[in-house]
Amino acid sequence: MSQDTSNTPDKDAIVRASIDRSLRHPVMFFFTSGAAWLAVSIVLGIISSAKNHSPDFLQNCAWMTYGRVFPAHINALIYGWGAQAAFGAIIWLMARLSRKECTAAGTILTAGHLWNLGVSLGILGILSGHGTGMPWMEFPSFAWPVLLLSYTLIVIWSLVQFRVRPAGHTYISQWFIVAAMIWFPWIYLTANVLLHCMSGHPVMAAGINAWFKSAILLLFFLPVGIGTAFYLVPKVTGKPIYSYTLAQIGFWSLAIIAPWAGMQKLAGAPIPYFLPYLGAAATVLIAIPALTVAANLLATAMSSGETVAHSPTLRFTLAGLVGLVLFGGAAVVLNLPETTLPLTQFSLSGYGFDILGLYGFFSFVMFGAIYFIVPRITRREWLSRRLIKMHFFLSAYGVVTVALVALFGGLQQGIGQEQFDQGWDNAAARATPYAIAITLAWCIILFSNVFFFMHLTLMWLRLGRRSSHPTLLVDPHHNSPHGPEGDIDNAGPGTPAAASAAAAGAH
Amino acid sequence: MSDPIQKPDLDDSINVTETHGRISRQTAAAARENELGEDGTQPVSLWLFLVLAVVLIVAGGVLGSGGSLFAYGSSFREGYVRKPAPGAANSGPQPKAALAAYSAKGSKIYSAKCNGCHGSDARGDGANYPSLAGSEWAKGPTERFAMVVLNGLHGPTSTGKVFGAAGMPAQGGGMAPEELAGILTYVRNNFGNTVGDVVTVDMAKAAIETSGKRAKAGQQVDADELNAEHKKDLPGDKLDPNLLVDPVTLAPAAAK
Amino acid sequence: MSFRNFLLGIFASFSLAWGLVVVYPFFKMRAIKPIVLTEATDGKDGLYFPKRAGRVVNGAEVYAANGCYLCHTQVVRPTYAGNDLYRGDWGGLKDNGEGIDTRRETNAYDFQGEKFAQIGVSRLGPDLSNLGRRVEAVYAKGKSPEAWLYNHLYNPRGPVERRKSDCPAFRFLFEERDVKGNHSTDALPFSTAENKEIVPTSDAKALVSYLLSLKKDDAVPAALNFAPAKKKTDG
Repeated sequence: MSQDTSNTPDKDAIVRASIDRSLRHPVMFFFTSGAAWLAVSIVLGIISSAKNHSPDFLQNCAWMTYGRVFPAHINALIYGWGAQAAFGAIIWLMARLSRKECTAAGTILTAGHLWNLGVSLGILGILSGHGTGMPWMEFPSFAWPVLLLSYTLIVIWSLVQFRVRPAGHTYISQWFIVAAMIWFPWIYLTANVLLHCMSGHPVMAAGINAWFKSAILLLFFLPVGIGTAFYLVPKVTGKPIYSYTLAQIGFWSLAIIAPWAGMQKLAGAPIPYFLPYLGAAATVLIAIPALTVAANLLATAMSSGETVAHSPTLRFTLAGLVGLVLFGGAAVVLNLPETTLPLTQFSLSGYGFDILGLYGFFSFVMFGAIYFIVPRITRREWLSRRLIKMHFFLSAYGVVTVALVALFGGLQQGIGQEQFDQGWDNAAARATPYAIAITLAWCIILFSNVFFFMHLTLMWLRLGRRSSHPTLLVDPHHNSPHGPEGDIDNAGPGTPAAASAAAAGAH
Repeated sequence: MSDPIQKPDLDDSINVTETHGRISRQTAAAARENELGEDGTQPVSLWLFLVLAVVLIVAGGVLGSGGSLFAYGSSFREGYVRKPAPGAANSGPQPKAALAAYSAKGSKIYSAKCNGCHGSDARGDGANYPSLAGSEWAKGPTERFAMVVLNGLHGPTSTGKVFGAAGMPAQGGGMAPEELAGILTYVRNNFGNTVGDVVTVDMAKAAIETSGKRAKAGQQVDADELNAEHKKDLPGDKLDPNLLVDPVTLAPAAAK
Repeated sequence: MSFRNFLLGIFASFSLAWGLVVVYPFFKMRAIKPIVLTEATDGKDGLYFPKRAGRVVNGAEVYAANGCYLCHTQVVRPTYAGNDLYRGDWGGLKDNGEGIDTRRETNAYDFQGEKFAQIGVSRLGPDLSNLGRRVEAVYAKGKSPEAWLYNHLYNPRGPVERRKSDCPAFRFLFEERDVKGNHSTDALPFSTAENKEIVPTSDAKALVSYLLSLKKDDAVPAALNFAPAKKKTDG
């Protein structure tokens, strides 16, 4: 038997591939159902944003009234897309980093279906008029125990894998992801028990809800995104993390600062006076972990310009990190008590800030992760670089528009609100042009995610490209006799095409 | 057909190269992955630390607005007193020149009480209601004018003509000194009358007092009484017609 | 860093904030006590613990389920946190008909009967802390406040001055039914057919009752009275 020894799979590669095989069902499920929820959420977002400037749109449908469609949009974005994308990334990353195959794929998959059921019933509950009226917790009260249970059944295995990992060094991503796995149930349980099961002072309940909003974003979505980015950037570029010390600073600053944030939404309300300002200070300080992490990873990737241009994973991840920088900057600018906080407290800025974090950072990193992970678990490559490019550019344009318009427009709106000697229509009218821009931006984002969803579904149906060469954004095989789509080598190595492809370098 | 026990995992039908190829293709994605490395020991840029220091300082300032931390007992800032609205010193009417302020007040009273008879142009109708425009009694000494307004008039006016047997009804019932001052100032400075002075609130108070002390208090005055007893100005300090006053209280007000 | 130290660090950093910012204030504020009034400082004896009239609990549920809190707030901020108090009719009435300015900040006793204070997410519409007062004294002066609110919920862009309002029309809170005998007193002045009338459902009635209970401009004890001391007027 002739063996091309240069093509013998590394022992590592076999381990990696077997891990990927073991959790292909749950991870693919989370990514695909998450993407479906993303599409639903964006459609709901377009409808609700349209109602901001054209309130007669769909006015005859009780289920589509703004007060129901907007919470449905946000909750679908967070629990439908955000959480499930996070679960997919968490499971895969923890398994890979612990070098352990997943043995509970069936349980995780069932729990994932349970999560989807909970979210679906919750969204239907909101739209049918049974929302609880607590921002980001509008699911009717039956939903949270279901979601908490399925969460536990999904991530407990990753914690087990972590505990039985091979002795040795723990990688940076694992700190962020293990921490996120511990923080989420703590935050979720606290808020839901205190608000649903116990009776407290109504204004303090509103305060705890504001804390919950901030904590979910800063202590679940942010660390999962950061942990994923810390994995993807060195993996794809092949360069080590720029500075280990900076990574430690990034992690511990997030852990120490973020739990204090959130109450700034209640500045001026009758809760203990210092709480909102403590929250505002903590939100300002979030710029520290945000900038630290982004600087670290952007510096890591900076010397690999060509790889960045070629790799869809890197492009999305680095765009997400730029979003993180903007998020950190916005956190400082929007929360200054004497100047900007009174303006932004009750304006579009809050929405823009949330979307910047959830979509501008977290979703972009998740897209990067999906473009990396899915080929590995389906053993197919992405079909079309054009679809990937469309997804990237349209999403980037869209989210930058939403974020900048909402942040800036919110300030303008706030200025109008503070002009107490004018009638209220002056303040209300200021928001209209920005609302229109946000509707258009969400339409662009929907368009981009339609491409993404189509592409992902084709991969899910095992219709991807069979190849040992990844789909890159730039065609590396200009001179390939097989045309610009690159080589397809079903025949395997030992054929001339495979040899030349191997020589073109590993990506 | 080979005995499976003899060759447990390698069969003639298996093409080793193809199998290896399949496996290597399936693991190709994993195979081409790089190792993770976190041992970059690059020094951190000073610029980053500067930016982080700025963030820390800003956050410290924000925290300063929080007052004493962990003071759970109070929901409001310590020592909080409502700050007046910016420009609030100007909320409410702006101070006006005394003449304009008094006249403005008077014009409201004129519309309410006087123009029904004397006409909106104060020219009367020639037969029943005398003209105030150019009237000698309106433009002359203020006490005389005040007595007419407060008590009404019976008999001939300053021109000698009699307008109606009943004469003018008294207007002083329930009239506040500010109102009397306003109406007197208004008539003396409008409708073509240009006396140019202000009948002050103090003068009006004196007029009301005098009116109450009349021998025929409660009855209309007549030309004889007016010329005999009241042909003088009301006592009181004169007011500079350009002095700024609050239009509501007519008290002197500083410019804002 | 060992796993044990890592866990310790996570637990310590989170539980410190969790305890001080979430748990402790929650339990402390649970049992808020009424303020004791004394003759000397407050002008009368007794307790300050305002009650609200109206179907607060049911109405608050309708308010929450229909997302009113997304566009309307219910907090009048003190002057160091915003300009809410300077508006003529948000914190109360600048002139309540007797020349008295009743405007004040929101205090901790203003949300009686509600489980969750709908402080609000954004202000696309005006603040509603004193909506009840505003409707009775200004919008529906001399007329039925309930009718005004029903009209507003059914057709927010009806009045000329509200043509540009972005408030959704809550038609689903009303139902069209046959006229039985005389028109119902609650019937709205919009109708489609001759023998039909539009009446509010119980949800609409609860909501309107709740909205009319929003009157947070009562006199407060000296401890909560932040008005500047009256200066002696000269002259």
